[in-house]
Amino acid sequence: MSAELKTSQYSAAYAGMKENLPGQSLAWLQALRANAAQQFADSGFPSLRDEEWRYTNVAAIEKKLFVPAADRTEVNAEILAEVQAQLLDGVWAIVLVDGHFSTQLSRLEGLPDGVVVVDMAAALEQHSDSLEAYFAQAVSDTENGFVAFNNAWFSDGVFMHVPANQVLAKPVQILHVATQAGFMANTRHIMALESSAQATVVETFVGCHDSYCSASVTEVFVGQNANLTLYKVQMEGEKAYHFGGTYVKQARDSHFQHHNFAFGALLARSDVHTDLEMAAECDLNGLCVGSKRQHIDNHTRINHLQPYASSRELYKNVLDQRARAVFQGRVWVAEQAQKTDSDMHNRNLLLSADAEVDTKPQLEIYADDVKCAHGVTVGQLDEKSIFYLQSRCMDTDSARNMLTFAFANEMVDKVKLKNLHDKVLQQLLLRFPQAGIQQDWL
Amino acid sequence: MSASAQEIENLIGQEYKDGFVTELEVDTFPPGLDEEVIAKLSAIKGEPAFMLEYRLKAFRHWQTMPEPNWAQLNIEPIDYQAISYYSAPKKDADKPQSLDEVDPVLLDTYKKLGIPLDEQERLAGVAVDAVFDSVSVATTFKGKLKDAGVIFCPISEALQEYPELVRQYLGTVVPETDNFFAALNAAVFTDGSFVYIPKGVRCPMELSTYFRINAANTGQFERTLIIADADSHVSYLEGCTAPMRDENQLHAAVVELVALDNAEIKYSTVQNWYPGDENGVGGIYNFVTKRAECRGANSKVSWTQVETGSAITWKYPSCVLLGDHSVGEFYSVALTNNYQQADTGTKMIHIGKNTRSTIIAKGISAGRSQNTYRGLVKVAKSAENARNYTQCDSLLVGDKCGAHTFPYVEVKQPSAQVEHEATTSKISEDQLFFCQQRGLSAEDAVSMIVNGFCKTVFKELPMEFAVEAQALLGISLEGSVG
Repeated sequence: MSAELKTSQYSAAYAGMKENLPGQSLAWLQALRANAAQQFADSGFPSLRDEEWRYTNVAAIEKKLFVPAADRTEVNAEILAEVQAQLLDGVWAIVLVDGHFSTQLSRLEGLPDGVVVVDMAAALEQHSDSLEAYFAQAVSDTENGFVAFNNAWFSDGVFMHVPANQVLAKPVQILHVATQAGFMANTRHIMALESSAQATVVETFVGCHDSYCSASVTEVFVGQNANLTLYKVQMEGEKAYHFGGTYVKQARDSHFQHHNFAFGALLARSDVHTDLEMAAECDLNGLCVGSKRQHIDNHTRINHLQPYASSRELYKNVLDQRARAVFQGRVWVAEQAQKTDSDMHNRNLLLSADAEVDTKPQLEIYADDVKCAHGVTVGQLDEKSIFYLQSRCMDTDSARNMLTFAFANEMVDKVKLKNLHDKVLQQLLLRFPQAGIQQDWL
Repeated sequence: MSASAQEIENLIGQEYKDGFVTELEVDTFPPGLDEEVIAKLSAIKGEPAFMLEYRLKAFRHWQTMPEPNWAQLNIEPIDYQAISYYSAPKKDADKPQSLDEVDPVLLDTYKKLGIPLDEQERLAGVAVDAVFDSVSVATTFKGKLKDAGVIFCPISEALQEYPELVRQYLGTVVPETDNFFAALNAAVFTDGSFVYIPKGVRCPMELSTYFRINAANTGQFERTLIIADADSHVSYLEGCTAPMRDENQLHAAVVELVALDNAEIKYSTVQNWYPGDENGVGGIYNFVTKRAECRGANSKVSWTQVETGSAITWKYPSCVLLGDHSVGEFYSVALTNNYQQADTGTKMIHIGKNTRSTIIAKGISAGRSQNTYRGLVKVAKSAENARNYTQCDSLLVGDKCGAHTFPYVEVKQPSAQVEHEATTSKISEDQLFFCQQRGLSAEDAVSMIVNGFCKTVFKELPMEFAVEAQALLGISLEGSVG
């Protein structure tokens, strides 16, 4: 007990860094940061005692003491090559290297008038008034230690604002690159779509082979009748620690689609929370392909606050070797949220004797005229399907490959952007659990 | 609409029919709990020395434990020092040897409850052990059971007559340190039933216990221990009622089941403790720890429960599937009305190979009640080819109640197959309309739909209980949809 209550060593280590953080001149931000720092000093990073974290132990992050990159990282040829490999064609791109915006690598030319896509440090100077209205409105410091920590010490991030009725012709890609061992990239993002606006955002996380920590918190505001599609492709290095929190507020009749691909990191935790107002719709999809000793935790929460909203959710996990996946999904329906329609599914495929899955789909319902369902399956490949393929002259390995691939590919096929779809598919094949996957039937 | 709304009022407003108080001279400890009280209790019971040690150990551990607060329940703080931990009908001082010696007032009570205590009635040939407040008052059919080799007696009696047998098993399934309420129970339990089915014996009749809390300001802490030795079979029924009182009363029971090789235990409960009045005043706080260990290969334990009573229900009958090929089943109907709160479910722990479990849980919430299913399916690495199927359905009646589902699934074995499904909905307008269009009243239609909703569970209940359960549902719910 006493060990848990010990103040995190991060509080002391980060205390002296305040002056280097952006937004020094903003009183509201300073107050917010001070409160968050206090909250973090009280709570620290989450522990297993925390019901929302009972299957995910982040003690290693506390022990390692990752430090922030003091200044902008020099862009060398290696980084340049990595960025070029990851950037999609035909997008507005904003690149964050070790938690700092890189002007050199970002491509933001030709944004329509009134559309803001800018790094957070700059936004705090140019758009501080509109930021103040959004900051910490979708998530509070008490959510968990990572959010408090982020509020207190975020170094940069992205502010995106799309005015009413504006439809973005091209997607916006936010590329996070981690280049150095022992670094912590702590980024804060705000995405706001005014009424009837429409946008697609791709978040990509990549990093080096050493141990580092990437923590990002995103607040999303989808205005009335607006439509946001958010893709997250997490391909962190194999020794990386990743925390990604996406907290969404959806206004009346809005649409939000989230596609969450988790391929990399040693320990990854992803939170997606959304609040639905009248007749809003959300669609949350997730795929995790884990192997070795990876631990991947996906956490979703859908709050139906008002009537007629609907939510769909499907998360799939494919686990090999000693990988462990955690899924926690919660659908909460308020007393007045009649006519709610909600459906949540979690499917898990265990390929090895040492893999493990812990899943907790939850329904909390206070209204009566609702249609809510959830389902979980944990299992292995269907023997009958394997037999059928074998009877069609396919060897066992190929049959297993094909079935495993089909299981995972359902999620990849939901990606509407062609070039992103190809990239994700390539990632899937790269990390495919069985060796020698035949591609002629792809 | 308005007519059926009126019906709801009437039907939901039905009074608790078992809410009478029996005027009886009782022996009651003054409220309070310390080591002295436990020693006194153990002395009154004439228990062997190991029991006092066991109780004190549990009590000392209990004092160090915090009250659990993780359940989806809103509980008024309980003052454990304001409860009396022992209450017994006075005339029980020298135990009755046969029914003739049992206080006729008591027999009347059981008659009112419709319990076939009187052997003459021989209804369905069910052997009954009746527990009144803290002590067991009568056990029927003892002779016949003895011929079969079955031991069925109050646990206090078992502690005197078969101390070694009790000692061998007591606390091995639910250790005294298990949880807050189990620890409290281990420290202060006063009576309960003890069943031992010897090797190869199929218990010739169904065994049954009726629990009744009568005295005011008392808690009831009973302990049930059932051991089914190899190749044996037993079906056990449990029923509970209590008078209507304005204050909340505490009930913290522990049930332990042990099934050895090829043994089968079927445990059915109809829980109808006083649920409190329509404003949520009074009612029983029901904190129960029930756990079964399928220790032997091919053993099977089946829990069936119909939970309609109690202001608060906190109960998770569980199966630890240790033996290879062992089977665990859980069938549950939980109905809450007015201000009742229920947080109930099961745990299936798969350890042995080829173990199977089935969970069917039906929750019905009405009024301003909150009904939660909370369950765990855990497949250990050793449990090759484990199989689980879970289905949780919730039915909402009225717009002020809540239905929640919190399943936990933990799987460490790739050959395991685990399925979980849950749905939440209200009674379908189409079904209601169809029934009414066929000439059924709205009230009958709802009753029929609710009974249909619960049918998969009711068919697991022994005949007499199924009838009682359906009647109970009828009383609490019929027609309560608008």
